[in-house]
Amino acid sequence: MAALDLTFLDRLRRRDAEALRLSVEQNARPLYRAARGMGFSHPEAEDLVQDVFATFLETLDRFEGRSEVRTWLFGILHRKSLERHRQLAREDQHDAIDDVFESCFDARGNWIRPPLELDRLAASSEAGDAIQACLDDLPALQRQVFVLREIEQRDAREVCNILGRTITHVGVLFHRARARLRHCLETRGWGDKR
Amino acid sequence: MIRCRQVARLASAGELSESPLRTRLAVRLHLMMCRHCRRFIRQLAWLGDAARELVSGFERDEAVQDLEARLLRRLGVD
Repeated sequence: MAALDLTFLDRLRRRDAEALRLSVEQNARPLYRAARGMGFSHPEAEDLVQDVFATFLETLDRFEGRSEVRTWLFGILHRKSLERHRQLAREDQHDAIDDVFESCFDARGNWIRPPLELDRLAASSEAGDAIQACLDDLPALQRQVFVLREIEQRDAREVCNILGRTITHVGVLFHRARARLRHCLETRGWGDKR
Repeated sequence: MIRCRQVARLASAGELSESPLRTRLAVRLHLMMCRHCRRFIRQLAWLGDAARELVSGFERDEAVQDLEARLLRRLGVD
């Protein structure tokens, strides 16, 4: 990760308009997109992003520039969105979706319930609605990992830094999110051979 | 020998690219022989594409056009 340009940080701390404008221009949209992906409506997402920047400015003195501004901003977004959803960031060690995944394989690890053909849903106009509904069903933390890894396409290392969790844990959450989405889509007729 | 469960788990957790070379080669060999795992991975990619498509639709919304300008105004930057 590139170390932050210290003069840029100094300019931000002095509330330099140009530096502020640059941070907003580079990060507002990805933050907004992520907030929408996490299930916030347009006004909620915009309000959340504004809140993220306001907090960013208030906490700039604690920001040591060891991570990138983007990672810092996404970390604030992560905490604020959990607060707003009033959902605990608790993640059970055991998740029922693990059993669903395991039940696809025999004892040796070969498929016994191989993935079904997805062509019917993938080609249909209902795909967007189905994905939206299934995203809404994800536990908050799994949804955040899915949004950051898949929609924002951040690498695992950066997502660890944003969420303050280990790389193994992020892998588990990403896997569970996708397994749950797949399962949800299957129950919505993803695999129907009609 | 690498099994389907391990291939699917590594791919699903997004850990393939971070795996040791030996694992990546084993996965590649496995995929040549296993159409179920190939389908599984293809579907993961589709899932990501579909989710990105969904969210980029939100971003094209007219209400989002002046997002940056509004934010800067509210943060007190002209």
